[in-house]
Amino acid sequence: MRKERPNSFVIAEAGKCIGCKACELACFAVHNRDNGVAAAVGTVTMPVIPRLYVIRTDSFTMPVQCRHCENAPCAGVCPVQAIVQEEGAITIDEDRCIGCKACAMACPFGAISLYKAYSSGQEHKQPHLREQLNGRLERKTRVIAYKCDLCHDIASDGNTASGEIAGAGAVNNSGSLTEGGGGPVPACASVCPEQALTLVSPSFGASRSRKAAGLRL
Amino acid sequence: MTPNIDPIIHIDEELCTGCRRCAEVCPVDAIIGEASTPQSIDAHRCVVCGQCVQTCAAYAAENDPSLTSRAEKLRQRGQLSSVREPLFAAYSTGHAIELKEALADPKRYKVVQCAPVIRVSLAEEFGLPFGTLTPGKMAAALRLLNFDRVYDTNFGADVTIMEEGSELISRVMSGERLPMFTSCCPAWVKHAETAAPHVLDHLSSCKSPMQMVGSLVKTYSAELDGIAPADILSVAVMPCTCKKFEAGREEMNVDGLREVDMVITTRELAQLIKDKGIDFINLPDETFDSPLGKYSGAGTIFGATGGVMEAAIRTGYELVTHEPIPNLQLDFIRGDEGIRTATVQIGDLELKVAMVAGLKYVSTILEQVAKGTCPYHFIEVMACPEGCVSGGGQPKLLLETQRKSAYQARKSSIYRHDSNQKVRKSHENPAIIKLYKDFLGEPLGHASHHLLHTKFFSRSVKGEMK
Ligand code: SF4
Ligand code: SF4
Ligand code: SF4
Ligand code: SF4
Repeated sequence: MRKERPNSFVIAEAGKCIGCKACELACFAVHNRDNGVAAAVGTVTMPVIPRLYVIRTDSFTMPVQCRHCENAPCAGVCPVQAIVQEEGAITIDEDRCIGCKACAMACPFGAISLYKAYSSGQEHKQPHLREQLNGRLERKTRVIAYKCDLCHDIASDGNTASGEIAGAGAVNNSGSLTEGGGGPVPACASVCPEQALTLVSPSFGASRSRKAAGLRL
Repeated sequence: MTPNIDPIIHIDEELCTGCRRCAEVCPVDAIIGEASTPQSIDAHRCVVCGQCVQTCAAYAAENDPSLTSRAEKLRQRGQLSSVREPLFAAYSTGHAIELKEALADPKRYKVVQCAPVIRVSLAEEFGLPFGTLTPGKMAAALRLLNFDRVYDTNFGADVTIMEEGSELISRVMSGERLPMFTSCCPAWVKHAETAAPHVLDHLSSCKSPMQMVGSLVKTYSAELDGIAPADILSVAVMPCTCKKFEAGREEMNVDGLREVDMVITTRELAQLIKDKGIDFINLPDETFDSPLGKYSGAGTIFGATGGVMEAAIRTGYELVTHEPIPNLQLDFIRGDEGIRTATVQIGDLELKVAMVAGLKYVSTILEQVAKGTCPYHFIEVMACPEGCVSGGGQPKLLLETQRKSAYQARKSSIYRHDSNQKVRKSHENPAIIKLYKDFLGEPLGHASHHLLHTKFFSRSVKGEMK
């Protein structure tokens, strides 16, 4: 029998984050093996597209990313059902996405951004739409929605380039995420030099805070 | 040609987030600024090692309208307009644009040398696994880039061993100016000149392998090829940003000509190869040119920490004892960041040696030397954490978590390359034997002195005021 539990998510502790953007870079790196991105910066032929964003205010910096809402509003508004719940994560099927931006507007955290789609490191052109570019009509680049997927299928992407992706700590050998606290964690959390990012597993987290609250009484 | 005054290492104020991770890896505290504000570099202290460049993760977001355009940034950084990788806050001045122009000049005789560790890391820039060994493809690519002669810094490493090994033996015999420090790491040399001028007398007077090759290119090989030295463009491909600084040092010239006219990094070589549309991965192997392209295994291991020491001992042992060294693989000398020490029995002599990897570890030894209590005869210092495999011009990693395994793989690849060489000792390299027979005479002789040795100058602020 399957045990129901809330989705996990990654959260940042603003007091710890120093704003280095290593998490953004790592996120981009592990999600673009198909775009030829291997271990070295020199293998990158496309813009860095992260799925979490380090924001800066006068008093703090911290990354913001998808909370993997239980009743995900983005999924509710997607007209083509590109947003699904899979193995404890809310993910976007990038092939289905039509770039309508409804999800970006529905997300209360601003966790979704729209950006050009890439395949094999090149802009992915559309078959039908064209636009004026440098005085010529050219095929328009596809634009799709990107957001955190908890690195849920990174292992199956396979980093054959360096044979190293497990070392990035994103996933365990079977390719699925394990609970926070000890096991492998998403790429952003594994590279953060300040340990500002944690994979929160709510069933565990909730009881712990309840206990803490009780002790304070 | 290499600009002398350019500080080489820069931080782009527009991109720096002030996280100060660079300051954490800087071995000489040269990075100044408040957290959360853009940092700057104290060019006087900075040893140009480029470790900050390797660490910085603050990149230019593509669609940020507040930033100077990418094209303009590339131009300011001296990088080819075809470069597609992200641009980071900390960077080193590039020389690929200048080199590309010079390579198109039919009037110049274009000679290149490559450091030992380029061949174990270059392939990473094309997506191959860490430490993939590609000397043959590298030589082929350099010919396609229009170089007339493809030489090897490994040859210079073999020459260095001949000179430095002889120097060590003569110093140990006479008991003078001990301990002797290696002088092939320019970042270490700059640090000694800036922060510890009291040890300058203790540095080996040898130029680095790169400068030795540069010097021989404009004399020995020019003569062999019948080329006027002034027509030669001497280029070096290095894992190290500080080699750009070293090549520009005033005293690094032979009879008024620069020994090395231009230095590019591993990353810049990859960018030039991509710019020319060369299919690096599928290039058939080619060999280096003779004679400055023939090297021994000892020359190869210069790229790893402990390598200079190991190579020197292989030759020094035999020079002193006139017997073959019983064990070629001096594993007790191999390792990584920190200080390692060992005692090597050479005939009657108990040679005490130390290897320092990572400039931040050198201070205790410098204090010992000042106090006269330093117990070692010979000390190798490499500024970067694991020697040249971890140099500031080497492929930069997207994931910090892969750093250890990248360095490990590059290092074992170097050692594998050594153990596959037929000749593993510098003094048995036939091209080296011929060089001494035909041209240099003997190690530390007159010609060597003129071409291969140098002096160091105090750069300490006090010294400057005098
Ligand atoms: S942008 Fe894509 S994922 Fe978002 S709602 Fe529209 S179709 Fe769905
Ligand atoms: S890696 Fe960690 S410290 Fe750096 S920006 Fe991300 S959360 Fe902040
Ligand atoms: S140069 Fe890079 S690593 Fe250094 S403080 Fe700025 S952003 Fe951080
Ligand atoms: S190049 Fe080296 S010495 Fe200079 S600031 Fe960077 S880390 Fe420090």
